[in-house]
Amino acid sequence: MNSNLALSDEMLLSIEKPERYIGNEVNAVYKDKDRIDIRYAFCFPDVYEIGMSHLGIQILYGMFNSYSDVWCERVYSPWMDMDALMRKENIPLFALESQDPVKDFDFLGFTLQYEMCYTNILQVLDLSGIPFFSTDRTWDDPIVIGGGPCSYNPEPIADFFDIFYIGEGETRYRELFDLYKKARKSGMSRRDFLHEAARIPGIYVPMFYEVKYKDDGTILSMEPVFDDIPRTIDKEMCRDISEVFYPTKPVVPYIKVTQDRVVLEIMRGCIRGCRFCQAGQLYKPLREKDVDFLKRIALESLKNTGYEEISLSSLSSSDYSRLPELLDFLIDSCNEKKINISLPSLRIDAFSLDVMSKVQDVKKSSLTFAPEAGTQRMRDVINKGLTEEDILRGSHEAFLGGWNKVKLYFMLGLPGETDDDIAGIGDIANKIAVEYFETVPKEKRNGRIIDITASTSFFVPKPFTPFQWARMDTKEEFLDKANKTRKGIMSQLNQKHIKYNWHEADASMMEGIFARGDRKLCRVILNAYEKGCIYDAWSEYFKFDTWMQTFEECGIDPFFYTTRERADDEIFPWDILNCGVTKQFLLREWHTAKEGKPSSNCRKGCLGCGAAAYGVGVCKESKSGE
Amino acid sequence: MNKLRLKFTKNGPIKFIGHLDVMRYFQKAIRRAEIDIKYSEGFSPHQILSFAQPLSVGATSDGEYLDMTVNSMVSAQDIMDRLNLAMNEGIRITAITELDPKEEKAMTLSEAARYSIGFRKGGEPDFDWIEAFSDYLSKETLPAMKKTKSGEKEIDMKPMIFEYSFDKEKSKVSLLLAMSSSATLKPALLFEYFFRSLGRDFDPVHLDIHRIDIYRGGSDEKGAFIEPFITDDISERVYING
Repeated sequence: MNSNLALSDEMLLSIEKPERYIGNEVNAVYKDKDRIDIRYAFCFPDVYEIGMSHLGIQILYGMFNSYSDVWCERVYSPWMDMDALMRKENIPLFALESQDPVKDFDFLGFTLQYEMCYTNILQVLDLSGIPFFSTDRTWDDPIVIGGGPCSYNPEPIADFFDIFYIGEGETRYRELFDLYKKARKSGMSRRDFLHEAARIPGIYVPMFYEVKYKDDGTILSMEPVFDDIPRTIDKEMCRDISEVFYPTKPVVPYIKVTQDRVVLEIMRGCIRGCRFCQAGQLYKPLREKDVDFLKRIALESLKNTGYEEISLSSLSSSDYSRLPELLDFLIDSCNEKKINISLPSLRIDAFSLDVMSKVQDVKKSSLTFAPEAGTQRMRDVINKGLTEEDILRGSHEAFLGGWNKVKLYFMLGLPGETDDDIAGIGDIANKIAVEYFETVPKEKRNGRIIDITASTSFFVPKPFTPFQWARMDTKEEFLDKANKTRKGIMSQLNQKHIKYNWHEADASMMEGIFARGDRKLCRVILNAYEKGCIYDAWSEYFKFDTWMQTFEECGIDPFFYTTRERADDEIFPWDILNCGVTKQFLLREWHTAKEGKPSSNCRKGCLGCGAAAYGVGVCKESKSGE
Repeated sequence: MNKLRLKFTKNGPIKFIGHLDVMRYFQKAIRRAEIDIKYSEGFSPHQILSFAQPLSVGATSDGEYLDMTVNSMVSAQDIMDRLNLAMNEGIRITAITELDPKEEKAMTLSEAARYSIGFRKGGEPDFDWIEAFSDYLSKETLPAMKKTKSGEKEIDMKPMIFEYSFDKEKSKVSLLLAMSSSATLKPALLFEYFFRSLGRDFDPVHLDIHRIDIYRGGSDEKGAFIEPFITDDISERVYING
């Protein structure tokens, strides 16, 4: 336990939730700082409750701390009240375990989970007293390193980072740490260290890549400034995840956080190939973990944390080939210990309904379908292999089993979307209601009735997806479509049983700008931060007008990044990275989408995306003739 | 089935953990310690666990209590040992006792709490507060307005102060204050009115509150008394009038 807190008792008592800043949680790791070589501050640039819910940090925190020469600690964005207090009292940002200033660390790592956290990165640098720009830093500053999904297009924040780690964290950090130790011992300059680091696979050092633009603002070229660093950076991937390091002693927070349970990652990657989905491409190929390993990890983690719930994590749990065996085991061992099992991302069918009826209170829980689009035509365009028949059959069986709540998720603004596709959202919701009334006779309803919630989000095209070429709708188009959806639902016979929610359009537009942005945006992000933009992912703090004003002052047209359909041969800011699937494959899928045709999934037939080169997971499965 | 009462401490940074989170903390610690605790019936069973009285955030304590029911155990001592192995340093079980199955909850039985109170470093008043507080406490009545669920009501704090004494060297006051379902006096309220009586501003964050123990009621040939929940020491009994 560390009783020497960075903040005084009076300060901690004058802010909300002091538990966010005191560390000392169960399973937090404490080391003697005089006996380690590398101090790593791992930051999730959002508030504690969000950051503590993230599996990736828990994995790398456990892995780094398993090294005897490394001490990894955690940092989260101070909430607004603490941010103000730290600025007023001149208190430097500190890591939770040692409570020491972040600036004293060797590394400051950021996990980049969503675009709307970018100003919070600047907040963390600012409060730590670390220069914003990589080029302004010295050995007095930590090496600032980023990873996670948004590092697959790191260009909008490239100037703020020394290094981006591209891909899965389990593979190259040891090498990077060893290089760092060698560099510090031998008196190497910081720049030379970064140069050496840029030669490690998966390591992208943006300052060593020079971007040239065409007159129209698109990219002409991105060239390395040294001959001995790669022209494109290949993502790192765990070739064998069957028994890869997994933290069975995750840190257990005192306060309730978003993901307040044991999380069991059962596999990585996805076979589905939905064309809007970035994760589906980034983590290819699908690799499953060994089922006996998972059983052991589950029991150990529950024992070490005392959590009352365990959740399976993957992009599409139904595709895990040993799912029935794993669930049988969990149901048996958890029932006895009064532990809940939560099952996200399961396809609704007889098997999953049977499992759900064993682990949930049917009366309280709801069925979730994500058709993503209202018509089969549109679902073929996005390659979402879920049909109306699937939904109605699943609903029918669920209604027989006693369920009466249904949640539906859709996207608006998909490429080539028509009014018919929007009208289809109301139609499908209504058909589910009709299915309910036909399946459950009045006398069996016991005072309960069908309750459908349809939610729409606005589609944001992402790098490394077949839709990376697509035009994104404007805010006005989005709101018009949300209105049409609402009217479509209101005109249904069973409309009083259907609720409709939609996301905010402003935030979607910002996300769209950053997702496919280039280095020119670094300046906009810094200026917006200096004007007070922070916690943009929180609607109560998101200042859309300030952002738009900043774009104008910087002379940058935000619509260049959103509403422009890209030419087939455009060079993208993220083309400097290789995520394992080829651009030719993505382009082929983009054209197939425009023809309105679906594609196969990895288990039904290989599409030649390029990931087979890894020779692992599902790619190997199909070759062995399974 | 066994009913147990545990005494625990809350010290160090753990003092910033709120009451509901302390409850959640114990629920997890009990699972980590693999204690065969009894669960309620129903679809979402919960542990049969109850706490004596919440402690305000920022205060430390050597005398918190919780009651639990277990289906089976090796011994009470074994439960205490296993829990201590599964917990942080800031929270320690210091005593455990097996209860009569008919014993009421500690929450219902609690009558008073003993505190040692001073000021945090840097937050000390710029006057001889011990002298002034001694004068204040010796008044006939100590009226105050107490916030209740439905608004405010006037109370007299005086009968809720069972004992007080001063440690001038350490600049601390020891107070034994009522804490029951019918009457509870929080130290911060008492200090607020004390400061108000002097025409001074008061900020409760400066108070350094340490709860020494929680007391239950009882009676013997000498009359009604209160004493710590778990104690073998008769000298700790405080006899109260009426």
